[in-house]
Amino acid sequence: MSNSAAGPAELVFTRVFEAPRELVFECMTQPEHLTHFWGPAGTSAPVEHITLDPRPGGVFETVMINDADGSRYPTRAVYDEVAPPERLVWTEAHSGMTVTVTFTDLGGIRTGVEIRQVNVPEFARSPEAQAGFRTSLDRFAGYLAALSAGPRTRSTP
Amino acid sequence: MPSAGSAVAQDQLDATFTALADPTRRAIVARLARGDATVNELAAPFDLTLPGISKHLKVLERSGIISRTRHAQFRPCHLEAGALEPAAAWIEDNRRIWAERFDKLDAHLRDLQRGPAGDPGRTPPEKPAPPEGRAPSNERNGQ
Repeated sequence: MSNSAAGPAELVFTRVFEAPRELVFECMTQPEHLTHFWGPAGTSAPVEHITLDPRPGGVFETVMINDADGSRYPTRAVYDEVAPPERLVWTEAHSGMTVTVTFTDLGGIRTGVEIRQVNVPEFARSPEAQAGFRTSLDRFAGYLAALSAGPRTRSTP
Repeated sequence: MPSAGSAVAQDQLDATFTALADPTRRAIVARLARGDATVNELAAPFDLTLPGISKHLKVLERSGIISRTRHAQFRPCHLEAGALEPAAAWIEDNRRIWAERFDKLDAHLRDLQRGPAGDPGRTPPEKPAPPEGRAPSNERNGQ
């Protein structure tokens, strides 16, 4: 919690799913599942454009296609760690971000999924950021958004 | 991420996040969100010397997050909230993408499991859930 420990900027998201951990893990590692949810709202992620090889050094490639105008957003990552059904780690080539997905068995048929993203676009390359960025960015996001929505005189380009 | 990061000026984002990496500077930004303040007013709650607070203010000023009046006697600091927009937008964009993916995954998992609330007459598009206790394997290359 102090700012003495070194640590890069990170974004953390969590969600609990009503499903067994093995199934949630498979959904994150099989194209026929990923195609159902990988593209955020308004986009699709066709199964024929999903290439993945879930083992360290294996590729994880997708293409998200905008439903409205057909724009394509290819993503390319390489797996750093694959530990079914607990953890997946990949590093994105286009952003340099490393994404760690942790699957936690919460009992019953509930599974917690945590997405932890580090090396949020090159912010971590600054020594200052390395030394100081211990607050999860996501918690700060709402705060920033509120600030930017507030009154202002002029904006700096 | 499709739009996160590419459309915005990366250098400005870096500068913004670097400036906000420090808890004292985030507190200064929060204080200035309520209105302009002098260096003395900003230093008071932080148990910092004036040179200490000045260092933080310089970082914020260089990144464009705050501005200081040049000629007024006490040089009040002013929050340039617009400078925070790209950073806030990037984070929100990233959060939205994952939130929407998780919404879709939630629906997909419900379909797969065909719970009591689901449509009992419908066949799931994918194969059913794998049995519990399946041995970990690295050979899951899209079947």
